[in-house]
Amino acid sequence: MSTEIIANCPECDAELTLIDVMEGEIIVCSDCGVDLELVSLEPLTLELAPMEQEDWGE
Amino acid sequence: MDSVSLLTGLLQHFSPTGAESEAVNYLVGAMQLMGFQSYVDSMGNAVGKIGQGSREIVLLGHIDTVPGEISVRQEDNILFGRGAVDAKGPLASFVAAASACRKSSDWHITVIGAVGEEGDSRGAKFLCQNYPAPEMVVIGEPSGWEAITLGYKGSLWVELGFRQPASHTASGQISACDCAVIFWNQLAKDLQLLNDGKNRAFDRFSPSIRSMKFNSNGFEDYASLKINIRLPQGTDFDALQALFTACIETTQITPEISILDYMPPYLAEKNTSLVRAFLSGIRKNGGTPGFKLKTGTADMNLVGPAWNCPAIAYGAGDSNLDHTANEHIELPEYLLGIQVLKDSLERIQGIQDNNSNTKSDQQNMLANAKQLAKDKKPDTIW
Repeated sequence: MSTEIIANCPECDAELTLIDVMEGEIIVCSDCGVDLELVSLEPLTLELAPMEQEDWGE
Repeated sequence: MDSVSLLTGLLQHFSPTGAESEAVNYLVGAMQLMGFQSYVDSMGNAVGKIGQGSREIVLLGHIDTVPGEISVRQEDNILFGRGAVDAKGPLASFVAAASACRKSSDWHITVIGAVGEEGDSRGAKFLCQNYPAPEMVVIGEPSGWEAITLGYKGSLWVELGFRQPASHTASGQISACDCAVIFWNQLAKDLQLLNDGKNRAFDRFSPSIRSMKFNSNGFEDYASLKINIRLPQGTDFDALQALFTACIETTQITPEISILDYMPPYLAEKNTSLVRAFLSGIRKNGGTPGFKLKTGTADMNLVGPAWNCPAIAYGAGDSNLDHTANEHIELPEYLLGIQVLKDSLERIQGIQDNNSNTKSDQQNMLANAKQLAKDKKPDTIW
């Protein structure tokens, strides 16, 4: 049986239905398209996912 | 052996590509002292296994460095030496973290110090062909302790040769050097068209001429260009062949083409238990995680596709110091990198976190790391 959680996007406040998610999962907001990270389940904490930065190097 | 002594010893065994054996023997000995079953494989890589379970995570660093020995010395919190960041620092942190972390009965951890990464990657190529794919792999390259590297551009090395009959400059005949310039200009133009609309260097082709030569025997002139093209994601070998074919058709010049080396681009999936473990490990130690996309290459370009398992690159240190005369690592960062690795390895194995740090714990750890590294007693904090 799947577990459903309702949360709000911290960027655009859209209501998101999260199904069977786990801590650390990267979720894409269906409204604004931003990448979100589910930082914790208890308490439910969604944050903007880490940014991708370019870097010289090996 | 403490983790700073381990790294210092590794740096003291200077090991430019092709001369790694003394450093490999040192690392194999050090791993034995730290609880690993360790050996040198038939390619010369240092391999150490720790833990009893059948599931495997590989921590793959490289033990060779670029040439240019740097005197190994510690000044306050900073350890100087060739390879301090690229990549003996990350490799030593793998050994320290794998040794220190709690082990589940289901898992074992394999640390590999591969040879040849700064050259033809013979160590990693050997692993691709001879080592069974693990469940996940972490590549040891400097990302900074708070960041995870997800991707590397690919790289193509090509030598283009152009032959023309020797001719007088007044004859109006096109010379071998003219051919080289015309062909190169067309290639650069075609690549620029492919780059249109792409703003990130990670997404663009980056061609450059690395050397050019000319010689003549009096009857025939020969010009050659050695070129490198850094490749964005989605570029495969067929696409590159088509690019050169189109260039030949446009210029009506057919060079001799020798492929010197090819590494495909690689981009890791973000939504894996491996990435989640590292995001959590960085946060637990007071960091703000970031993702990095690198314009260079690493052994991840080879083992990522070959093993087809979750992969990232991670390691303390500033990659801007790679290959420089000022190469060094800050010891507090090195120690934090070890702690992040240790926490992440435990999480991957499903070991319960029994030490959830508060913000003030995290700040104390950072402060302690700095102070104790200065006092040269860094291992006592973990």
